[in-house]
This record gives sequence, structure tokens and C-alpha cells, in this order.
Amino acid sequence: MPRAAWKGPFFVAFPGLRQAIQNGTPIATQARSCTILPSFVGLKFLVHNGKDYIPINVTEEMIGHKLGEFASTRKRFSYRFTKAK
Amino acid sequence: MLHLLGVNLPDRKLVSTALQYFYGIGPTSSSKICDQLSIHKQCKLAELSEAQINSLSNVLANMNIETDLKREVRDHVMHHRSINTYAGRRHAMSLPVRGQRTRNNAKTAKKLNGRWVQRRMFSSLSTESFPSVQSPLERFFNTKFF
Repeated sequence: MPRAAWKGPFFVAFPGLRQAIQNGTPIATQARSCTILPSFVGLKFLVHNGKDYIPINVTEEMIGHKLGEFASTRKRFSYRFTKAK
Repeated sequence: MLHLLGVNLPDRKLVSTALQYFYGIGPTSSSKICDQLSIHKQCKLAELSEAQINSLSNVLANMNIETDLKREVRDHVMHHRSINTYAGRRHAMSLPVRGQRTRNNAKTAKKLNGRWVQRRMFSSLSTESFPSVQSPLERFFNTKFF
């Protein structure tokens, strides 16, 4: 079930949004559930994935998605040979 | 056999059943179409009159089925893949997209997911065989000259 339309999209207000677009400084955030608004286009984000902050460049196609969709929380499995102890 | 919109429909089946041979029509929408055209439930495809078949093909032509629907689904997947979301990545890995378990099972996703994404490599070849599908370059030229 989608979110009710009368609520509008969920987003977090980032202070200094305009400055960040002009300067190109990335915004570090843990708000993964924040919807990408049209005003975010051109911004750089550092989105927390639980461990690190992952850089994201917001493009026009990403509008309507959440920030967390672009920062994977899973680590790729890689086999490591270890001696049984 | 009745040939409608590029799909062969079996003559001796009920109309509501035969309509489900189309990609994108299930039990619900097939019964809705039958209601709309006032075809009774036990009616078989062979018993339809010419006018009824015409109205049926009119209704079907306006619906989003078969290749249109397949292309729409594929576009949605490719949208996710091109902006590199989690859903797009799961499609590319042919794993479940919506958080299902993968320790075992996940057979449907392993079978079906990723087929849209893998076809991207051949998309430049396949556009030649399907003239209706426009490549980005063609679209660009069309917009420029007209």
C-alpha cells in the first residue's frame, strides 16, 4: 500500500541546502528514509549505511526514491580461507 | 483457432478462460471484459458472433497487454538498474527484490529476475528487428528534426 497522498512525501529538512548545491559540498546524513525532492538535484550526499557514509550524486531520475535505496547496507560475500582453530 | 492481436485463442474454451491466454489478463480482468461486453459465463469462443469479436478486439486494443505491458515492466526494471538502486541491483543479481529469504528457496526470482537486465547487452541488436522500439539515438534524431 502506498503512502497516503494527503501526507505528502516524507523528507528531512537539511539546513544550508542552497549553499551545498552552489559549493558542491556533500551533506552527510543518516536519514536514509528521506525522499529525494526536486530541489535536491545536483546535490552530493554522504548517506550512512550503518557503517560508512556512501557518496551519492543526485540526478533528475532519482526524484521520488529514498536516499537509502542508493546506499547498500549489505556487504558482498567474499570467501576467505582461514585456518580452523 | 481465433487469431486476435497476435495471440492464438483456443476455440473450444470458455471466453473468460481463453482471454487469459493474453499476457496481462488474469481471471479478474477477463471476467470484467466479459461483463462489459455482456458475454454470459458459459459462452465459448466459437459461439461468439462477428460483432462481439469486433467489440472484443476493440476493448483489447485499448488495454495495456502483451508487448506494451512487457515493455513497461522492463522499463521499470531498467529505471532501477540505471540509477543503481537496491532493487535494480537485486534484479541484476537475479535475487529476490523485496526482502525475501535467500538462504534457500527464492526459486522464482532466480528463474525470472535479471532477464530484463541481461537483455540490455543485446538491445542494440534487437531494436533492428523491432522497428516499433526506438533506440535513444533514433528518438534524439526524431526530436531534432521535427
